[in-house]
Amino acid sequence: MGGEEYDIDGQAAHWVDRMRQPLQDAETAAAFDRWIAEDPCHVDAYARLTALWQSDDLVVALRSAEATPSASNDDEDVVPPARRGLGWRRIAGAGAAAMFLALGIVFGPGLVVQQASFATPRGATRLVALSDGSTIRMNGATRIAVRITPWSRQVSLEQGEAYFDVAHERLRSFAVDAGGARVSVLGTAFDVDRLDQQTRIVQVFRGLVSVDAGAGRRWRLPAGSGLEVAGDRVRSLRVGAGRPGWVDGWYEANDTPVWQLVQRLNRATPRPIRLADPALGELLVTGRFQTGQPVAVLEAVAAIHDLHWRVAGRGYLLSR
Amino acid sequence: MLRYVLSRSGRRDLADDVAQETVARLVALSDTQQIASVFAFAFRIADNLLVDLHRRERRLSDALDSDWCSDEPSIDRILDSRRAIGVLDRCLRRMPPLRREVLIRRRLNQESCRAIGEALSISAKAVEKHITRGMIDLRRALDQAGVDLMGQD
Repeated sequence: MGGEEYDIDGQAAHWVDRMRQPLQDAETAAAFDRWIAEDPCHVDAYARLTALWQSDDLVVALRSAEATPSASNDDEDVVPPARRGLGWRRIAGAGAAAMFLALGIVFGPGLVVQQASFATPRGATRLVALSDGSTIRMNGATRIAVRITPWSRQVSLEQGEAYFDVAHERLRSFAVDAGGARVSVLGTAFDVDRLDQQTRIVQVFRGLVSVDAGAGRRWRLPAGSGLEVAGDRVRSLRVGAGRPGWVDGWYEANDTPVWQLVQRLNRATPRPIRLADPALGELLVTGRFQTGQPVAVLEAVAAIHDLHWRVAGRGYLLSR
Repeated sequence: MLRYVLSRSGRRDLADDVAQETVARLVALSDTQQIASVFAFAFRIADNLLVDLHRRERRLSDALDSDWCSDEPSIDRILDSRRAIGVLDRCLRRMPPLRREVLIRRRLNQESCRAIGEALSISAKAVEKHITRGMIDLRRALDQAGVDLMGQD
């Protein structure tokens, strides 16, 4: 067992030294790739020896050894053969100690990777300022998780809708994953709405964004355009100037199904509207609605389609 | 890739990100560059990313107000680093002087195996053997002392 391990370490050490050289011929390179792919243990051994060989600590120790070459105590080097047998047990103990240390670091504060989650209840919006200068305005009933690393800015929109004003950075892209649609940009302002299980709406107010809906479906949207993706169906949208209406408490419906209107109202008010019959949701409405005034909106919708509404429990019920 | 980054850095919190970014860069670069060894190239990208991260971290932890944020991990790391240097130093002093000389010439002075062999009147093969053996000695010394090189570069 020990012999085999020594062998791997020996090979790994050999490769670490060889691969440090600036130039390798194709044959050596191929042999290295074969060796690495052969066994995951090779990766571990190579990584651990690289960590040693590259470490600043080794350079410091070598310098000090170089400065005082004659100070060697060769007599201490003699390890009585009888003690050799204990060696493995001690190595196992050391392994456990190293593991413990590693765990200690895992739970330490991540200084470089910043991660945070934010949520809003129904009826409340929230402005989140990120460390890169970008801002996210969250609509009601919305949940997001933000992860910023030195080379990436990622937000996952887990629920609801948010308006992103992204600080421009040349190298570090900003990506929003809305589960089923992924938007990536360098610096723009856009809105992503995770309307229901499968509907995602992206609206661009400034700059250019790229939307990836999976299965090789990818679009580039300039400012003033938008996209609604629902499963296999895709619809392009025109977007007004400025910023999304909901930021100012408005929703502009344009032959929009009632269920979508209700969904938006329900983000903005703590008292949710329910439909007595799901079929009502398919009726279409057009108009500019104030999302903070559910009663006024219900009155309008009821008048358009000859419906009724009433207070039910903690919310409202819309019926025929 | 993940395995390499984990073993290389001991940082579970960063490994996913570093591995992912490495693969992304590898894919991007492979369009324009001819790569002899995919693994060697990928490992080097990951090494560079880790160096970058550690520099940033050091700068960040220096900048943080100690009242506001406990910097225990970095103190731990400084202590670890001192212990590691101690262990390596002792190991170097205990090894055969010839092997130590080879390691110094190779790592500090970046001499080629052939040049080292000529200077010390041994074959290039023997030089390689000393390097390999020396590296393993040092690695084992760290393992036995329970010290790991974390966040080191």
